[in-house]
Amino acid sequence: MLKVDKLMVFYENALAINELSIEVNRGEIVGIIGSNSAGKTTLMNTISGLLLDTRLKEQRKGGERITIFGRLSFLGQDITNVWADQRVKLGIVLSRERHPVFVESDVEENLRIASYLLPRREIKGMIAQVYRIFPALFPLRKRKAGFLSGGEQQMLAIGMSLMARPKLMLLDEPLLGLAPATQVKLIESIVTIRKEEGVTILICEQFARPVLPIIDRGYVLENGMLTLHGTGEELYDNPEVKAAYFGV
Amino acid sequence: MLVYGLINSVILALMALGFNLTFGISGVANFAYGAIYIVAGFITWTLIEKLGLPHLVSAAAAIVVIGLFGMFLYKLVLKRIRGLVISEVIATFAVALVALELLRYIGFIGFRYSLPVFIDGSVEILGAYVDIQRLLILALSILVVVAQYLFTHYTKLGLAFRGIAQDEHTSLSLGINPDRIASWSMGIGCSLGAFAAIVILPLGTITVDSGYDVLINALSVCIVGGLGSTFGVIIASFIIGYAQILTATYISSHYTIIVSLVAILVILALKPSGLLGHQKELEERV
Repeated sequence: MLKVDKLMVFYENALAINELSIEVNRGEIVGIIGSNSAGKTTLMNTISGLLLDTRLKEQRKGGERITIFGRLSFLGQDITNVWADQRVKLGIVLSRERHPVFVESDVEENLRIASYLLPRREIKGMIAQVYRIFPALFPLRKRKAGFLSGGEQQMLAIGMSLMARPKLMLLDEPLLGLAPATQVKLIESIVTIRKEEGVTILICEQFARPVLPIIDRGYVLENGMLTLHGTGEELYDNPEVKAAYFGV
Repeated sequence: MLVYGLINSVILALMALGFNLTFGISGVANFAYGAIYIVAGFITWTLIEKLGLPHLVSAAAAIVVIGLFGMFLYKLVLKRIRGLVISEVIATFAVALVALELLRYIGFIGFRYSLPVFIDGSVEILGAYVDIQRLLILALSILVVVAQYLFTHYTKLGLAFRGIAQDEHTSLSLGINPDRIASWSMGIGCSLGAFAAIVILPLGTITVDSGYDVLINALSVCIVGGLGSTFGVIIASFIIGYAQILTATYISSHYTIIVSLVAILVILALKPSGLLGHQKELEERV
């Protein structure tokens, strides 16, 4: 479904992603595991196309020079130079890290803003579906998103991505800053989303322990380079992963 | 005086709404706003006087033309310098200078340029005689504020406006194209300016110089109210509106424009983000 081919990303002369090739097949949950500064967010922004926008903005003000090499293809179509909003239309939707929500709008309005690409008659049904997946959001629907807790904001952020009807959902560190119990709940919701919505999911995370059991395949990223690749179980049992991410 | 202050405040608010809308959504400080206001007046005047079109048709045509011009201005110029605040200000102000001085060059000077009022006549309210046109401005301003609220809360484009206003990258990752929305906000902002011109200008004559005054008034109202906040604009226009009327009554009508400038200075010294503003980097923006 998604193919990343020999991707390299530079910020000025610093290499953020080095000859990375990964593949995501339809219906899978694929994990990208890596510590801070491994290049996870850069990878997510490259796949979603946000990096093209950042690159243009930096170029305009004469800021940081961003260089991208390699090719991206989605459903057999070359998307290397396709703009972010067009990629959303194709079905690649990113939920950015640190649960970005529109803080001045209430929960329901956040979902309605997110329904920009949805035909008018489907909006109500889809919002109801989001509340089904995240029942905790329903009682909060009139509350301003800025007053939600981190976990609730994260649920809302994922719910907003769902409103764009993704075929491939990119989740950038969804567990960041959440309590362990909330992490477990969120992971369950992610499994539900795949099952009920038929969405393929690419999730990147540094908390490997809760994520590894639900992924079909995983890649381990270190300093922008691919170091390990295997099924979720293989990675879970791998002594290096255990040492680096479980603290065993 | 109470009544005149009210009307003056409402006029200020109506003038500022378009500027405020564009800034609030796309962050573009449209310094061509005053010029657009005057150009809209002259377009309407030309259509009525030279082509003999009916008043309402001319007004609608001017609003549409100015709106398209705003979108065109964004696509042609502002899109390339988006995010560079100083460049945006310089570019739009340059457009304003070109438009206004060109009008002066062509010969739109003198007292014969004035727009017809919608309904003639006046009524007495609280002992003051008020033109029906002024009451009409009051009603239409309320209508515009209500319409703007409904638009930004219940339509797709309006909701996308609010999304872009709050977080551009999040909106982009939901499929909302910031450039498209910003060009719409520019178009609608300019149309609001044209609308304001068409209802306000009949109160006096159209002069090129008042283009600068309109910009200063709109700017001061927006800065005092807090850039990007509609409610702030309304409050600020009442403060400045009454202050202007008081100045005109007790000192001299000559000094009214000073009020706006002083208001900018005072608010920047005391509360730089404006009364209801949430723009932290206002010092950089203005």
